Amino acid sequence: MQGEFEFSAWVPALPEIFLALASMALLVAGAFIGNKGTRVVCYAALWSIAVTALILIGRDWGRSLVPGGMFVMDSFAGLTKLMILAGLFAVVAMSIRYLHQEQINRFEFPVLVMFAGLGMMLMVSANDMLSLYVALELQSLALYVLAAFHRDTAYSAEAGIKYFVLGAISSGMLLFGISLIYGFAGSTNFDMIAHRLEDMEAIRLPILVGLVFVLVGLAFKISAVPFHMWTPDVYQGAPTAVTTLFALVPKVAAMALLIRVLFGPFAAMAPDWGQIVTLLAVASMIVGAFAALGQENIKRLMAFSSISHMGYALIGVIVADEGGVGSVMLYLLIYMVMTAGVFAVILSMRRDNLAVESIGDLAGLARTRPFVAFAMAALLFSMAGVPPLAGFFGKFFIFVEAVDAGYYVLAVLGVLTSVVAAYYYLRIVKVMFFDESAEPFDPNKSLSGRAVLFVAALFVLTFIAWPQPVISIAYDASKALFIQ
Amino acid sequence: MELLAVFSPLAGFLIAFLFGRQVGDKGAQFVTCAGVIVAAIASVVLFSQVNLADAPYSRVLSEWIVAGDFVANWGLRIDQLSVVMMCVVNVVSACVHIYSIGYMSHDEHKARFFAYLSLFTFAMLMLVSADNLIQLFFGWEGVGLTSYLLIGFWNHRHSANAAANKAFVVNRVGDFGFVLGIFSIFLLFDSVQFETIFELAPQMAGVQLEFLGITGPALTIIGLLLFVGAVAKSAQLGLHTWLPDAMEGPTPVSALIHAATMVTAGVFLVARFSPLYEYAPEALMVICVAGGLTAFVAATIGMTQFDIKRVIAYSTMSQLGYMFFALGVSAYGAAMFHLVTHAFFKALLFLGAGSVIHAMSDEQDMRRMGGIWKHVPATYVMMWVGALALAGMPFFAGFYSKDIVLEAAWADHTWFGMFAFWMGIAAAFMTAFYSWRLILMTFHGRQRADEKVMAHIHESPNVMLMPLVVLAVGSIMAGSAFYGGFVGSPSDEVVMRDGQAYVSAWNKEHFWGESLHVLPQNDTVEAAHHVPLWVKALPVVVGLFGIFCAYVFYLWREGLPERLAGALRPVHQLFYRKWYFDELYDLLFVRGSWSLGLVFSKKGDGGIDRFGPDGFALVTWKIGALLRRMQTGYVFHYALVMMIGLIGIVSWLVIRSGGVVAP
Amino acid sequence: MAPADMLIEYLPILVFLAVAGGIAVLMVAASLIVGKRNPDPDKLAAYECGFDAFSDARSKFDVRFYLVAILFIIFDLEIAFLFPWAISLGEIGLFGFCSMMVFLGVLTVGFIYEWKKGALDWE
Repeated sequence: MQGEFEFSAWVPALPEIFLALASMALLVAGAFIGNKGTRVVCYAALWSIAVTALILIGRDWGRSLVPGGMFVMDSFAGLTKLMILAGLFAVVAMSIRYLHQEQINRFEFPVLVMFAGLGMMLMVSANDMLSLYVALELQSLALYVLAAFHRDTAYSAEAGIKYFVLGAISSGMLLFGISLIYGFAGSTNFDMIAHRLEDMEAIRLPILVGLVFVLVGLAFKISAVPFHMWTPDVYQGAPTAVTTLFALVPKVAAMALLIRVLFGPFAAMAPDWGQIVTLLAVASMIVGAFAALGQENIKRLMAFSSISHMGYALIGVIVADEGGVGSVMLYLLIYMVMTAGVFAVILSMRRDNLAVESIGDLAGLARTRPFVAFAMAALLFSMAGVPPLAGFFGKFFIFVEAVDAGYYVLAVLGVLTSVVAAYYYLRIVKVMFFDESAEPFDPNKSLSGRAVLFVAALFVLTFIAWPQPVISIAYDASKALFIQ
Repeated sequence: MELLAVFSPLAGFLIAFLFGRQVGDKGAQFVTCAGVIVAAIASVVLFSQVNLADAPYSRVLSEWIVAGDFVANWGLRIDQLSVVMMCVVNVVSACVHIYSIGYMSHDEHKARFFAYLSLFTFAMLMLVSADNLIQLFFGWEGVGLTSYLLIGFWNHRHSANAAANKAFVVNRVGDFGFVLGIFSIFLLFDSVQFETIFELAPQMAGVQLEFLGITGPALTIIGLLLFVGAVAKSAQLGLHTWLPDAMEGPTPVSALIHAATMVTAGVFLVARFSPLYEYAPEALMVICVAGGLTAFVAATIGMTQFDIKRVIAYSTMSQLGYMFFALGVSAYGAAMFHLVTHAFFKALLFLGAGSVIHAMSDEQDMRRMGGIWKHVPATYVMMWVGALALAGMPFFAGFYSKDIVLEAAWADHTWFGMFAFWMGIAAAFMTAFYSWRLILMTFHGRQRADEKVMAHIHESPNVMLMPLVVLAVGSIMAGSAFYGGFVGSPSDEVVMRDGQAYVSAWNKEHFWGESLHVLPQNDTVEAAHHVPLWVKALPVVVGLFGIFCAYVFYLWREGLPERLAGALRPVHQLFYRKWYFDELYDLLFVRGSWSLGLVFSKKGDGGIDRFGPDGFALVTWKIGALLRRMQTGYVFHYALVMMIGLIGIVSWLVIRSGGVVAP
Repeated sequence: MAPADMLIEYLPILVFLAVAGGIAVLMVAASLIVGKRNPDPDKLAAYECGFDAFSDARSKFDVRFYLVAILFIIFDLEIAFLFPWAISLGEIGLFGFCSMMVFLGVLTVGFIYEWKKGALDWE
């Protein structure tokens, strides 16, 4: 650790360093300009995110560590970071108008999004329990504030408080788990832990207990059942732009982190944690499918929808091989695109300059806005996993991997719950196309929102025409975890 | 070039469909027509590059789906067979697109109509240029879908919707067989790539396959399953009932989809799989018999119909029958030849009929036409050309192709070949008869239309006549021009040049190359060149006789048809009622399932519904309500659930590991 | 050590728990049984320096106290880090120096922000 400071050694973390500097610069700039500069700060944030992505793409995605071994860069992290940055970009772009409409256009919003994004990027590159924890907290703290961003409404404040309190509990569990693991394995470094676990019979159980605590902390972040309780309330209460962020990005980052932890230091314990993850996956699929049935609020519905999607993705984790992780990455990619599209529609649901968010408000959308209704229907069908849309392929590859590995029960359960879940997606379609028209929405002036919707709809519709590149990207990225 | 030929209709479709409102009707018409014309030119260029130079190739555009052993690509197989089909599809489609500008000029949804037409063209091109079964199936379903959309294009008409649904449902039956065929091919060959399948087919000749408990030769089973798909798509006897009803669509659609291109997809499929069918003689036999029967039955029905479009529709079905029995006797080249010439003259007839209908203010019943030939001279001439070609009169296109088909059937010297031959001769007589019946009833005799219609009668605009001219030229020339290439025997095509005799390249061996596979002993096209003179002459003779009869019945002795119909009442009724196919299906399937449905819907409420769907729904809903109640909104409840979850997992792990183990 | 052996070592604690619980129950029970009870309203009244309870024990106070407290903690911690860093600067070299500069830089950014936002003004 002592010795000369060499900048070149830190190059693998260059995108993060840039993003950190950019967000701090924007924070200071914003503090000087004040809230009237929100729009400028937002555009600057978009540019910073884009530049970060460019730096990331320009980097070599081979496995490399920074000094101290706390941070690892490989193609798995690379792909996940790109997804995160794309999500952040979409969220900030779609929020600009929303912030203005809701009169919460404070410049802290884009800055907080960037800090959260920085935390997530560090999360997926974590190679040490400490960097994992710090990154996770950086992300979480920014998100707590964002959830309560509309602090004048009781809902938003409530969402922030709930998320904060429960998040603190999960953080505590995570930290406790880390300390247990450190106590028994003698190190917080992932590689060291993996090395120590090669001869593990004596310390298997305590390590496993520690791992359970860590898993609980991470399961909270991906809102896997039974650690999902915050999700519906926070999704509903938080400003819609923030909900979009919640649904899109942290899920992906936390899932990637979960995969990195399970397949890095604890790869040797796959049979043990497999059972825990199975429990999480089954519970998530069931609760996600059933609890959403009677929901009237579309944001709340999307919360349960995301819970069930995470349940499906976890099946791929249980499979515990290269193909399994590949299918998870593919699933997450498709999930992100679909969710972005759906939220673009939700963001455009405004009447008399007020946001509305009940499913009934979508009634007759097919007549007032045929194109939006059509795109939304395509996205919902895709989420329900109807072939030949993209969402079908996401589920299809997960189930194929599960069946190949002999997890028939999980695959069957997944299919059954997606049948139940199809009900509530299709109900929205039915409301849009067959119910008496509600009053039309205000015209959607948000160019970025329309662009996101268009791209997402195009993606799910045309995925079948050329799926192989996307599939290869996802599967190639997963290989990085298995070359040590 | 091949990309241009295949994808420009897609580009036209995308622009017209997505931006129809922005570019307007004119713009949509322009881009779709331009797309198809570009494709037509490109495919003609391809024809000169591939067929004339014997240089087939295939090209993989990208990987599509790779899952385990299963590999499917987006690929184009540009060989002689597919290029011939591409030419037909694109040229006819271009004519129909241009024609539609005039025909649909009063319609309100032009952009949509043209978009669908282009989409259909693209799907058809996908079908013919596929290099694997999955892509072929994609095109197959694509044309089915667009056919459905276009039949029901005038969706305010109840009958159009019913016809569209019927076409869809009947085709589904065929698709089911087709899909089973694809599955069994994958089972047997471990591949869906044509290349692999054709290479392995000879080795599979003796392999047995079990299907539905019956063990049989694998290739025959596959051949028959694929043929089931072809039967539905090409409206062969049994699954043909949708085709006449499909005439509810706009006439250009009938010309393009239900005469020239889509219905020939079945013929194309069998020809494409000739390397496989050659080793499945039993399957070929079934195809031959089915084709012969269809040719005959459809012709008998065609003689008695009064709707001008239905007459042509039954004629289409009958001609498709010709193609199929040609396939059945391994005369693939002859079948393709007839397909090409038929595409020209049948599209011509349909568009001509459309022109008549247009002139007569949307009247389709021939009993209310007549005596109008002076008012629509150009259309009249075009219809004559089409009818002459259809009846197989010498030097028109149909003459060459129909003759070679019949000769090949005779030359096969098998019982089913003979059967098909005599069915075909009978059908040839009837074809000539109903063609002239159509012309005479429509254009000659008394004027049976009312005053108002007659006042409005007008020749169609040039934009509609121009495509007719192109097609008419095709109907006249296509036969003599392509005879040598499609079916010419190498030994016949000896030309003298510079005082030396050598074989011209313009013969079937050279023309088709490897794309059609015929075993030497099955080469009936070759044998067809050496049949007795009476076999060659018979179709023309019966055709002339048919024309003569038509003149007698419908011009010179006007009361005769009614009297004859009265005398042969049972037979006439049988023909007029289309051999009672619709009634039979109605009785067998529709009523049966309907009454079964009624039983369930009446009695089922108590048992099936309560424990079936409703029961499940109720239980599901209750579980949902329970879970919803757990979301109390209290933070401490949430924390409690988390704690319970954590403790539960830890305890379970500890118990499972058999108690506490000391460190 | 077998599980059973390890549990044996905890036996004294179990005994202790039992004895403690027993004594507690005994004492409460004894006072219930032996004690003399003769309640009247004055005896049952609140014992609060002779006053009745007149307001909620939990009272609100200004949120700005929290703000100042939180801001204080951050910079307090900064100082807490600076002392050991200053002592060992000679050993950790340039790397250590840079690390602390980054840390201070981040905190300075935060400081500028809170200053500009007016978090340090009481009114």
